Amino acid sequence: MIEALWTNLDYAASVVLFSIGLYCVITRNNLIKKFMGLNIMETAVFAFIVALGVVEGGDAPIMGADASPPFTNPIPQALILTGIVVAVSTTAIALSLIIRVYRQTGTIEADELREME
Amino acid sequence: MKRASVAALLVLIAIPLLAAMAELPPHGSSETPAYTHVSERYLQRGAQEAGAENIVTDVILNYRGFDTNGEVTVIFTSVVAVAAILLLRDEERTSQERSSTPVSPVLLFIVRTMAPFIALFGMYVILFGHLSPGGGFQGGTILGALVIVSTVVLGPDVAHRMVPAPARPWLQAAAPLTFVTVGLAGLAVTGHYLGFPSGDEWGWVGTLMLVVIEIGIGVGGGTIMASIFWMMEEER
Repeated sequence: MIEALWTNLDYAASVVLFSIGLYCVITRNNLIKKFMGLNIMETAVFAFIVALGVVEGGDAPIMGADASPPFTNPIPQALILTGIVVAVSTTAIALSLIIRVYRQTGTIEADELREME
Repeated sequence: MKRASVAALLVLIAIPLLAAMAELPPHGSSETPAYTHVSERYLQRGAQEAGAENIVTDVILNYRGFDTNGEVTVIFTSVVAVAAILLLRDEERTSQERSSTPVSPVLLFIVRTMAPFIALFGMYVILFGHLSPGGGFQGGTILGALVIVSTVVLGPDVAHRMVPAPARPWLQAAAPLTFVTVGLAGLAVTGHYLGFPSGDEWGWVGTLMLVVIEIGIGVGGGTIMASIFWMMEEER
Protein backbone atom coordinates (compact mmCIF):
# COMPACT_ATOMS: atom_id res chain seq x y z
CA MET A 1 0.00 0.00 0.00
CA ILE A 2 2.83 2.37 0.85
CA GLU A 3 4.38 1.81 -2.57
CA ALA A 4 1.07 2.50 -4.32
CA LEU A 5 0.68 5.64 -2.23
CA TRP A 6 4.13 6.77 -3.28
CA THR A 7 3.18 6.64 -6.99
CA ASN A 8 -0.07 8.42 -6.10
CA LEU A 9 1.67 11.02 -3.97
CA ASP A 10 -0.43 13.84 -5.45
CA TYR A 11 -3.61 12.16 -4.29
CA ALA A 12 -2.15 11.46 -0.84
CA ALA A 13 -1.19 15.15 -0.57
CA SER A 14 -4.79 16.14 -1.15
CA VAL A 15 -5.86 13.81 1.69
CA VAL A 16 -3.39 15.56 3.99
CA LEU A 17 -4.70 18.95 2.90
CA PHE A 18 -8.26 17.74 3.49
CA SER A 19 -7.34 16.65 7.02
CA ILE A 20 -5.74 20.03 7.75
CA GLY A 21 -8.95 21.74 6.66
CA LEU A 22 -11.07 19.42 8.81
CA TYR A 23 -8.79 20.08 11.77
CA CYS A 24 -9.39 23.82 11.35
CA VAL A 25 -13.16 23.32 11.14
CA ILE A 26 -13.24 21.22 14.32
CA THR A 27 -10.79 23.03 16.57
CA ARG A 28 -10.99 26.72 15.64
CA ASN A 29 -13.37 28.81 17.65
CA ASN A 30 -13.58 31.81 15.34
CA LEU A 31 -16.27 31.47 12.67
CA ILE A 32 -14.11 33.00 9.94
CA LYS A 33 -11.28 30.57 10.75
CA LYS A 34 -13.75 27.68 10.71
CA PHE A 35 -14.86 28.76 7.29
CA MET A 36 -11.27 29.07 6.10
CA GLY A 37 -10.89 25.44 7.12
CA LEU A 38 -13.88 24.57 4.93
CA ASN A 39 -12.24 26.43 2.06
CA ILE A 40 -9.04 24.43 2.57
CA MET A 41 -11.11 21.22 2.37
CA GLU A 42 -12.69 22.47 -0.87
CA THR A 43 -9.24 23.23 -2.26
CA ALA A 44 -8.09 19.71 -1.38
CA VAL A 45 -10.97 18.19 -3.32
CA PHE A 46 -10.30 20.49 -6.29
CA ALA A 47 -6.60 19.61 -6.29
CA PHE A 48 -7.44 15.91 -6.14
CA ILE A 49 -9.84 16.00 -9.08
CA VAL A 50 -7.53 18.14 -11.24
CA ALA A 51 -4.66 15.74 -10.42
CA LEU A 52 -6.86 12.88 -11.65
CA GLY A 53 -6.81 14.45 -15.12
CA VAL A 54 -3.05 14.78 -15.41
CA VAL A 55 -1.46 12.68 -18.16
CA GLU A 56 2.28 12.07 -18.17
CA GLY A 57 3.85 14.50 -20.66
CA GLY A 58 0.44 15.83 -21.67
CA ASP A 59 -0.09 19.30 -23.16
CA ALA A 60 -2.95 21.67 -22.40
CA PRO A 61 -6.03 20.46 -24.32
CA ILE A 62 -5.94 23.29 -26.88
CA MET A 63 -6.18 22.20 -30.52
CA GLY A 64 -3.94 24.74 -32.21
CA ALA A 65 -2.16 24.13 -35.49
CA ASP A 66 0.91 22.61 -33.85
CA ALA A 67 -0.85 20.72 -31.06
CA SER A 68 0.11 17.09 -30.67
CA PRO A 69 -1.13 14.37 -28.32
CA PRO A 70 -1.06 13.41 -25.54
CA PHE A 71 -3.31 16.03 -23.99
CA THR A 72 -4.37 16.29 -20.38
CA ASN A 73 -7.94 15.37 -19.57
CA PRO A 74 -10.19 18.43 -20.14
CA ILE A 75 -13.19 17.19 -18.15
CA PRO A 76 -11.77 17.49 -14.60
CA GLN A 77 -10.55 20.99 -15.42
CA ALA A 78 -13.97 22.04 -16.67
CA LEU A 79 -15.72 20.48 -13.66
CA ILE A 80 -13.39 22.18 -11.22
CA LEU A 81 -13.84 25.54 -12.92
CA THR A 82 -17.54 25.12 -12.14
CA GLY A 83 -16.70 24.00 -8.62
CA ILE A 84 -14.47 27.00 -7.92
CA VAL A 85 -17.17 29.43 -8.99
CA VAL A 86 -19.73 27.75 -6.74
CA ALA A 87 -17.18 27.77 -3.89
CA VAL A 88 -16.73 31.52 -4.36
CA SER A 89 -20.50 32.01 -4.19
CA THR A 90 -20.87 30.00 -0.98
CA THR A 91 -17.88 31.82 0.53
CA ALA A 92 -19.48 35.18 -0.22
CA ILE A 93 -22.76 34.13 1.38
CA ALA A 94 -21.06 32.61 4.43
CA LEU A 95 -18.92 35.69 5.03
CA SER A 96 -21.92 37.98 4.78
CA LEU A 97 -23.80 35.76 7.24
CA ILE A 98 -20.82 36.05 9.61
CA ILE A 99 -20.90 39.84 9.23
CA ARG A 100 -24.60 39.75 10.06
CA VAL A 101 -23.97 37.56 13.14
CA TYR A 102 -21.32 40.01 14.30
CA ARG A 103 -23.66 42.94 13.81
CA GLN A 104 -26.43 41.27 15.83
CA THR A 105 -24.37 39.80 18.66
CA GLY A 106 -21.01 41.58 18.69
CA THR A 107 -18.97 38.39 18.52
CA ILE A 108 -17.99 35.67 16.08
CA GLU A 109 -16.49 33.27 18.62
CA ALA A 110 -18.44 30.02 18.56
CA ASP A 111 -18.34 29.39 22.33
CA GLU A 112 -19.49 32.93 23.21
CA LEU A 113 -22.34 32.55 20.72
CA ARG A 114 -23.33 29.26 22.36
CA GLU A 115 -23.45 30.87 25.80
CA MET A 116 -25.63 33.66 24.47
CA GLU A 117 -28.67 31.44 23.87
CA MET B 1 -7.92 15.21 25.84
CA LYS B 2 -9.84 17.15 23.24
CA ARG B 3 -6.75 17.49 21.09
CA ALA B 4 -6.11 13.74 21.25
CA SER B 5 -9.67 12.86 20.28
CA VAL B 6 -9.56 15.28 17.34
CA ALA B 7 -6.28 13.74 16.16
CA ALA B 8 -7.78 10.26 16.48
CA LEU B 9 -10.81 11.31 14.47
CA LEU B 10 -8.64 12.80 11.72
CA VAL B 11 -6.55 9.62 11.51
CA LEU B 12 -9.74 7.54 11.38
CA ILE B 13 -10.97 9.63 8.45
CA ALA B 14 -7.61 9.83 6.66
CA ILE B 15 -6.79 6.10 6.71
CA PRO B 16 -9.75 4.94 4.54
CA LEU B 17 -9.15 7.88 2.21
CA LEU B 18 -5.46 7.01 1.83
CA ALA B 19 -6.34 3.35 1.29
CA ALA B 20 -8.72 4.36 -1.48
CA MET B 21 -6.08 6.66 -3.03
CA ALA B 22 -3.62 3.74 -3.10
CA GLU B 23 -6.14 1.70 -5.11
CA LEU B 24 -6.51 4.36 -7.83
CA PRO B 25 -4.72 3.98 -11.17
CA PRO B 26 -1.18 5.40 -11.09
CA HIS B 27 -0.95 9.18 -11.28
CA GLY B 28 -0.32 10.47 -14.82
CA SER B 29 -1.35 7.25 -16.56
CA SER B 30 -3.14 7.65 -19.88
CA GLU B 31 -4.92 4.29 -19.45
CA THR B 32 -7.34 5.40 -16.73
CA PRO B 33 -11.09 4.98 -17.36
CA ALA B 34 -11.49 8.71 -16.76
CA TYR B 35 -9.29 9.38 -19.79
CA THR B 36 -10.20 6.68 -22.29
CA HIS B 37 -13.95 7.14 -22.70
CA VAL B 38 -15.67 10.50 -22.87
CA SER B 39 -12.67 12.79 -22.87
CA GLU B 40 -11.04 10.85 -25.71
CA ARG B 41 -13.98 11.71 -27.92
CA TYR B 42 -13.95 15.33 -26.75
CA LEU B 43 -10.25 15.59 -27.58
CA GLN B 44 -10.64 14.02 -31.01
CA ARG B 45 -13.73 15.83 -32.22
CA GLY B 46 -14.28 18.74 -29.84
CA ALA B 47 -12.53 21.36 -31.97
CA GLN B 48 -14.67 20.62 -35.06
CA GLU B 49 -17.87 19.75 -33.21
CA ALA B 50 -18.13 22.37 -30.51
CA GLY B 51 -16.64 25.46 -32.11
CA ALA B 52 -13.62 26.26 -29.89
CA GLU B 53 -10.03 25.09 -30.07
CA ASN B 54 -9.77 25.11 -26.28
CA ILE B 55 -11.45 21.85 -25.30
CA VAL B 56 -12.07 23.04 -21.74
CA THR B 57 -14.15 25.89 -23.16
CA ASP B 58 -15.97 23.38 -25.37
CA VAL B 59 -16.83 21.24 -22.36
CA ILE B 60 -17.95 24.18 -20.24
CA LEU B 61 -20.04 26.06 -22.79
CA ASN B 62 -21.15 23.43 -25.27
CA TYR B 63 -21.09 19.83 -24.06
CA ARG B 64 -22.05 20.78 -20.52
CA GLY B 65 -23.70 24.10 -21.29
CA PHE B 66 -26.71 23.36 -19.12
CA ASP B 67 -24.42 22.91 -16.13
CA THR B 68 -22.77 26.27 -16.74
CA ASN B 69 -26.16 27.88 -17.30
CA GLY B 70 -27.11 26.76 -13.79
CA GLU B 71 -23.76 27.88 -12.46
CA VAL B 72 -24.07 31.48 -13.68
CA THR B 73 -27.48 31.48 -12.03
CA VAL B 74 -25.76 30.37 -8.81
CA ILE B 75 -23.34 33.30 -8.81
CA PHE B 76 -26.16 35.71 -9.58
CA THR B 77 -28.17 34.18 -6.72
CA SER B 78 -25.16 34.62 -4.43
CA VAL B 79 -24.99 38.37 -5.08
CA VAL B 80 -28.76 38.61 -4.46
CA ALA B 81 -28.38 36.63 -1.22
CA VAL B 82 -25.48 38.77 -0.01
CA ALA B 83 -27.56 41.88 -0.70
CA ALA B 84 -30.52 40.38 1.17
CA ILE B 85 -28.36 39.49 4.18
CA LEU B 86 -26.35 42.70 4.41
CA LEU B 87 -28.53 45.49 3.07
CA LEU B 88 -31.71 44.76 5.05
CA ARG B 89 -31.10 46.64 8.23
CA ASP B 90 -33.16 46.42 11.39
CA GLU B 91 -31.73 49.48 13.03
CA GLU B 92 -30.86 52.82 11.54
CA ARG B 93 -27.14 52.95 11.17
CA THR B 94 -25.37 56.18 11.88
CA SER B 95 -23.17 57.04 8.97
CA GLN B 96 -19.61 56.41 10.04
CA GLU B 97 -16.64 58.40 8.96
CA ARG B 98 -14.45 56.39 6.65
CA SER B 99 -10.99 55.88 7.97
CA SER B 100 -8.84 58.31 6.04
CA THR B 101 -5.38 56.83 6.13
CA PRO B 102 -3.48 58.54 3.32
CA VAL B 103 -2.51 56.15 0.53
CA SER B 104 1.16 55.82 -0.28
CA PRO B 105 2.07 57.72 -3.49
CA VAL B 106 4.04 54.70 -4.71
CA LEU B 107 0.92 52.54 -4.48
CA LEU B 108 -1.19 55.21 -6.18
CA PHE B 109 1.28 55.52 -9.04
CA ILE B 110 1.55 51.75 -9.55
CA VAL B 111 -2.20 51.20 -9.53
CA ARG B 112 -2.85 54.13 -11.87
CA THR B 113 -0.18 52.91 -14.28
CA MET B 114 -1.17 49.26 -14.19
CA ALA B 115 -4.97 49.69 -14.33
CA PRO B 116 -5.29 50.01 -18.14
CA PHE B 117 -3.05 47.01 -18.66
CA ILE B 118 -4.95 44.91 -16.13
CA ALA B 119 -8.20 45.82 -17.89
CA LEU B 120 -6.68 44.96 -21.27
CA PHE B 121 -5.40 41.63 -19.97
CA GLY B 122 -8.80 40.80 -18.49
CA MET B 123 -10.52 41.51 -21.81
CA TYR B 124 -7.89 39.48 -23.67
CA VAL B 125 -8.47 36.51 -21.38
CA ILE B 126 -12.24 36.78 -21.93
CA LEU B 127 -12.14 37.22 -25.71
CA PHE B 128 -9.49 34.57 -26.39
CA GLY B 129 -10.98 31.98 -24.06
CA HIS B 130 -11.86 29.76 -27.01
CA LEU B 131 -8.32 29.83 -28.46
CA SER B 132 -6.04 29.97 -25.43
CA PRO B 133 -6.20 29.28 -21.71
CA GLY B 134 -8.80 31.55 -20.20
CA GLY B 135 -12.46 32.32 -20.58
CA GLY B 136 -15.28 34.30 -19.09
CA PHE B 137 -14.88 33.34 -15.44
CA GLN B 138 -11.11 33.86 -15.39
CA GLY B 139 -11.21 37.20 -17.23
CA GLY B 140 -14.18 38.36 -15.17
CA THR B 141 -12.21 37.66 -11.99
CA ILE B 142 -9.33 39.80 -13.31
CA LEU B 143 -11.71 42.67 -14.10
CA GLY B 144 -13.39 42.30 -10.70
CA ALA B 145 -10.00 42.34 -9.00
CA LEU B 146 -9.16 45.56 -10.87
CA VAL B 147 -12.32 47.23 -9.55
CA ILE B 148 -11.59 45.97 -6.02
CA VAL B 149 -7.99 47.24 -6.13
CA SER B 150 -9.26 50.60 -7.34
CA THR B 151 -11.76 50.72 -4.49
CA VAL B 152 -9.03 50.11 -1.93
CA VAL B 153 -6.38 52.41 -3.40
CA LEU B 154 -8.16 55.13 -5.39
CA GLY B 155 -11.25 55.26 -3.19
CA PRO B 156 -14.84 54.09 -3.72
CA ASP B 157 -15.84 57.18 -5.69
CA VAL B 158 -13.43 56.41 -8.52
CA ALA B 159 -14.27 52.71 -8.49
CA HIS B 160 -18.04 53.30 -8.51
CA ARG B 161 -17.64 55.28 -11.73
CA MET B 162 -16.18 52.18 -13.42
CA VAL B 163 -19.54 50.41 -13.00
CA PRO B 164 -22.23 53.10 -13.46
CA ALA B 165 -25.02 52.78 -10.91
CA PRO B 166 -27.98 52.67 -13.38
CA ALA B 167 -26.39 49.81 -15.32
CA ARG B 168 -25.29 47.88 -12.23
CA PRO B 169 -28.30 45.55 -11.79
CA TRP B 170 -28.21 44.67 -15.49
CA LEU B 171 -24.47 44.03 -15.42
CA GLN B 172 -24.84 41.82 -12.33
CA ALA B 173 -27.43 39.77 -14.20
CA ALA B 174 -25.40 39.85 -17.45
CA ALA B 175 -24.18 36.25 -17.21
CA PRO B 176 -27.57 34.47 -16.88
CA LEU B 177 -29.19 36.94 -19.29
CA THR B 178 -26.69 36.40 -22.12
CA PHE B 179 -26.70 32.68 -21.46
CA VAL B 180 -30.48 32.43 -21.80
CA THR B 181 -30.48 34.77 -24.82
CA VAL B 182 -27.83 32.74 -26.65
CA GLY B 183 -29.56 29.53 -25.59
CA LEU B 184 -32.82 30.76 -27.12
CA ALA B 185 -30.98 31.90 -30.25
CA GLY B 186 -29.63 28.35 -30.48
CA LEU B 187 -33.19 27.09 -30.10
CA ALA B 188 -34.25 29.26 -33.04
CA VAL B 189 -31.31 28.27 -35.24
CA THR B 190 -30.81 24.57 -34.51
CA GLY B 191 -33.99 23.53 -32.73
CA HIS B 192 -32.25 22.76 -29.43
CA TYR B 193 -31.84 25.02 -26.41
CA LEU B 194 -28.12 25.97 -26.32
CA GLY B 195 -27.62 24.28 -29.68
CA PHE B 196 -24.55 25.65 -31.43
CA PRO B 197 -24.36 25.41 -35.22
CA SER B 198 -21.28 23.45 -36.30
CA GLY B 199 -19.62 22.36 -39.52
CA ASP B 200 -17.56 24.25 -42.06
CA GLU B 201 -20.27 26.61 -43.25
CA TRP B 202 -21.94 27.58 -39.97
CA GLY B 203 -19.10 26.89 -37.54
CA TRP B 204 -18.31 30.60 -37.20
CA VAL B 205 -21.83 31.24 -35.86
CA GLY B 206 -21.22 28.67 -33.13
CA THR B 207 -17.88 30.28 -32.26
CA LEU B 208 -19.51 33.72 -32.22
CA MET B 209 -22.16 32.45 -29.79
CA LEU B 210 -19.43 31.03 -27.55
CA VAL B 211 -17.62 34.40 -27.54
CA VAL B 212 -20.86 36.27 -26.72
CA ILE B 213 -21.47 33.94 -23.75
CA GLU B 214 -17.86 34.42 -22.62
CA ILE B 215 -18.27 38.21 -22.68
CA GLY B 216 -21.53 37.96 -20.75
CA ILE B 217 -19.96 35.70 -18.12
CA GLY B 218 -16.87 37.92 -17.87
CA VAL B 219 -18.75 41.19 -17.44
CA GLY B 220 -21.33 39.63 -15.13
CA GLY B 221 -18.77 37.77 -13.04
CA GLY B 222 -16.54 40.82 -12.65
CA THR B 223 -19.45 43.04 -11.64
CA ILE B 224 -20.66 40.45 -9.12
CA MET B 225 -17.19 40.19 -7.53
CA ALA B 226 -16.98 43.96 -7.21
CA SER B 227 -20.55 44.31 -5.91
CA ILE B 228 -20.06 41.69 -3.20
CA PHE B 229 -16.86 43.45 -2.15
CA TRP B 230 -18.60 46.82 -2.01
CA MET B 231 -21.46 45.49 0.11
CA MET B 232 -19.03 43.93 2.59
CA GLU B 233 -16.76 46.96 2.54
CA GLU B 234 -19.59 49.26 3.66
CA GLU B 235 -19.70 47.30 6.92
CA ARG B 236 -16.47 48.72 8.26
